[in-house]
Amino acid sequence: MHRIHLGEFEELTLLFVAVLHGNAYGVAVMEEIEQQTGRAVNISAVHAALRRLEEKGYVNSEWSEATAQRGGRRKRLFSITQAGRAALEQSRDTYLKLWEQIPGMAPKISFS
Amino acid sequence: MKVPISPEPPRWADRFLEWYCRSELLEEIQGDAYELFDKRLIANGYKAARRAFVWDVLRSFRLSTIRRITYKFSSDMYKSNFKIAWRSLVKHKMYSAIKIGGFAIGIAACLLIALFIKDELSYDSNYPEAERIYRVVAETTEGEFAGQGVDFPAPFAKALKDEFPEFEKVARINPNSLFTGGGNPIRRIEAAQNTYEEGFTFADQELLDILQIKMIYGDRKHALDEPNTIVISERKAQQYFPNENPVGKMLITNDNKDKPVKIGGVMANFPSTSHLQYDFLISMKGVEFYNGEQSNWGASNYHTYVLLKPGVDIAKLEKKMFSVIVHKYLGAQMSKTELELVERSSRLYLQPIRDIHLHSAEIHDGMRHGDIRFVWLFGAIAGFILLIACINFVNLSTARSSNRAKEVGLRKTVGSSRGALIGQFLSESLLFSWFSFVLGVLLAWALLPYFNQLSGKTLQFPWLAWWFLPMMVLACLFVGMLAGLYPAFYLSGFNPINVLKGKLSKGSSNANLRSALVVFQFTTSIVLIIGTLIVTRQMNFILHKKLGFDKEQVLLLNGTQTLGDNLPAFKNRLQQLPMVQSVAVSDYLPIAESKRNGNEFWEAGKDKEGNSSGTQIWQVDSGYIPTLGMKIVEGRNFSTAMKSDSQGVIINQALAKKLNLAPALGKRITNGGQSYQVIGVVEDFHFESLRENIGGMCLVLGNSSNVVSVKIKGQDMQKAIQQISAIWKDLAPTQPIRTTFLDDSYAKMYADVRRMGYIFSNFAILAIVVACLGLFALSTYLAEQRRKEIGIRKVLGASVGSVMGLLVRNFLVLILISLFIAVPTAWYLMQKWLEDFVYRYHIRGDVFFLAGFSVILIALLTISVQALRSALSNPLDSLRNE
Repeated sequence: MHRIHLGEFEELTLLFVAVLHGNAYGVAVMEEIEQQTGRAVNISAVHAALRRLEEKGYVNSEWSEATAQRGGRRKRLFSITQAGRAALEQSRDTYLKLWEQIPGMAPKISFS
Repeated sequence: MKVPISPEPPRWADRFLEWYCRSELLEEIQGDAYELFDKRLIANGYKAARRAFVWDVLRSFRLSTIRRITYKFSSDMYKSNFKIAWRSLVKHKMYSAIKIGGFAIGIAACLLIALFIKDELSYDSNYPEAERIYRVVAETTEGEFAGQGVDFPAPFAKALKDEFPEFEKVARINPNSLFTGGGNPIRRIEAAQNTYEEGFTFADQELLDILQIKMIYGDRKHALDEPNTIVISERKAQQYFPNENPVGKMLITNDNKDKPVKIGGVMANFPSTSHLQYDFLISMKGVEFYNGEQSNWGASNYHTYVLLKPGVDIAKLEKKMFSVIVHKYLGAQMSKTELELVERSSRLYLQPIRDIHLHSAEIHDGMRHGDIRFVWLFGAIAGFILLIACINFVNLSTARSSNRAKEVGLRKTVGSSRGALIGQFLSESLLFSWFSFVLGVLLAWALLPYFNQLSGKTLQFPWLAWWFLPMMVLACLFVGMLAGLYPAFYLSGFNPINVLKGKLSKGSSNANLRSALVVFQFTTSIVLIIGTLIVTRQMNFILHKKLGFDKEQVLLLNGTQTLGDNLPAFKNRLQQLPMVQSVAVSDYLPIAESKRNGNEFWEAGKDKEGNSSGTQIWQVDSGYIPTLGMKIVEGRNFSTAMKSDSQGVIINQALAKKLNLAPALGKRITNGGQSYQVIGVVEDFHFESLRENIGGMCLVLGNSSNVVSVKIKGQDMQKAIQQISAIWKDLAPTQPIRTTFLDDSYAKMYADVRRMGYIFSNFAILAIVVACLGLFALSTYLAEQRRKEIGIRKVLGASVGSVMGLLVRNFLVLILISLFIAVPTAWYLMQKWLEDFVYRYHIRGDVFFLAGFSVILIALLTISVQALRSALSNPLDSLRNE
């Protein structure tokens, strides 16, 4: 297994692409991050993260239908790929494994 | 801010985004930005939304979002560019030669002139404290003494030092030949034979300190601080004391055995870019030229140099200086009205030492200076010649455009971008420029000795100077680009469809621009030619003007005071020579750099109201007027037989008129101290430059024995000089004899005019050569273009003459237009120049006619060679292919 390079913000973005499930594009991801984590993020940072994720093969993108909004410009909708899901899982497993090693700190959350 | 009906984000930011953003990312980024803008508009309002939009755009400007720079460096492309350029250069040898040759001439001219200007601008900048060193100048705007001068009384320097703490050091020099500055005989104390040397001046020790002159031997701080010491230059030390340290050794000046001078030090030679050029500095310490001279405020003979303390307000100092000097020192000797006049019309100012060389045209300081106007003129001429050469390049390139048009069309068809084509043509231009520069630099190098003669300089070619090579490379790139830019854009702009269909009318497009450029070239050439003619005419005018004296066949013997008591005997023996017509003994001669003075004169017994100050009073002898061929219009010459003539005076017409002496004979005139009776009136003669009016003149009998003038009979000057030298040797075996000719000395006064003439004529020739090269190539090319037309015309019966006319007519019109522009321009410029002279050549129409005629002739000859060839050609050759 090759090493995955998933930066902290990239991982967060990737998570939200997965969360938004088929409705993930720049603005949506940004707003979701702001709402759910309280972090103020610039749109350019989200774009950059999405571009890097696509380069790494963790997300795919396709153009939406054009609407009257956005000056008639299409949205670029991102969806998570198999590799992206694997990367998220691996990351989570690593974290869990490490959590379990901390004495007296059993993980409170469990994944179904 | 009002919110518009349909609010939009800032346009410039949007544009900026579109400009930098990669096209595949643009829709996403721009769309998101717009969506955010709309949302923020509702949430935060118009202004905040706009601000946020700009911020988003700026934040999105990242390496990953900006367009790739489409231009890719490829050495192959350059290689190919230059290969093609080379092929086109070799293929059209004549055009290439003319382009490169013309360019090279322009570059050589420019380079030489740049060297000249650089040298002129570098004067007096090498002193360590140069920016704090000044020369004191006095300016008067009213009265007979109007003008600017640098001569100050002996105690002036001390007064400055005592009164004003702003001066760190003050130094005087006295190069006046009245006090044995200038040229003197000199020898080592143990030698018998004197040698005549120039470049003497008296100087204060402070001069060495102010200029911080480098010393080869001796201590700079104490080289001149004792009486009777002298500092000599390195070259003179080599001459008189080869390979030894001469400090402490003795020299004898002026054959004055009783007062030898001790060498206090050897200074480095003054660089050629110094306005001070002295080889012998004699200490001022303990010197008093006559009783009370050092404290006399009435006689001004000292140039005064000062070193200011840092940070002095110069304007304020000048005012203070003037006021204190006038009131405290000069006021005592002046009447109230005189004081008022001085206060009203005079001032003192400090001239930076660096300005002395180029900005002293108005200042009477007895030195030879450059002239800033001359520098400008030179620079302008160089610029014009380079421009003419560039124009050739542009003209030939665009004229030949049709030949390149097919190439351009094909290249475009197979996918070449305009940028690549521009690159191609620019490479070509750079290649030409490179060849031209190599050739031009070599040419300039080869011509430098000749140019040095022309400009009176000793310039070196700066091969090794650190700035030279980089400068040349930069200039090569710049000129190459400049000349290539228009052709490159013009040629690369062709529409391939039209070109390949053959629709481009051959060589005729842009004929207007080409014509304008030809007109410019010829206008410049004609102006220069007219300039040459007028300067030459003025020089002839000067040389042949009736001066009121006869300068031909007069030999001057300088330094005759060294004969002492033998002088009358010398004069007698000279007069006995059969070749000698007459002999005069007098220092005063009607040429520049001979002795002068100035006095006030008025008619005895009347008020001194007549404005006659500045009148010369010259001590002469009875041989003076015949020897110099002056004409007595009233009365008689001095006579040795009449004792009373020692009280007699011969005045010139100008003075007679000024003092209203009619009739003048028998009237008495006085300068306050002495009165003279007028025994004769001499016809006005020019004793100053023709730039000035003739002033008042009194000739009196007196002793001034430095110069003997000899009028020679017959043609054999050589023999006359031999005989005179023999007598001299007999009477003064240890003294060198120095002879000059009066007419030579006279011509020297106008060396600048002559130099200007040389420069004009040389550059006029260059300009016309370059312009004609261009014209030749252009006419050749256009004749080639019309080969078929000419063929058809001849088949239909046109004569050689009519075909010639067809080819020549267009150019002739252009040259006539040039003439039309050039004549008034040249007239105006040369009139301005001639205004320097009170006595001047009056421009007449024949100058313009001559210039116009010669230019038309030259141009016609240039064009005709080609036109005739086309006109005489067999129509079969040109039509065979159809």
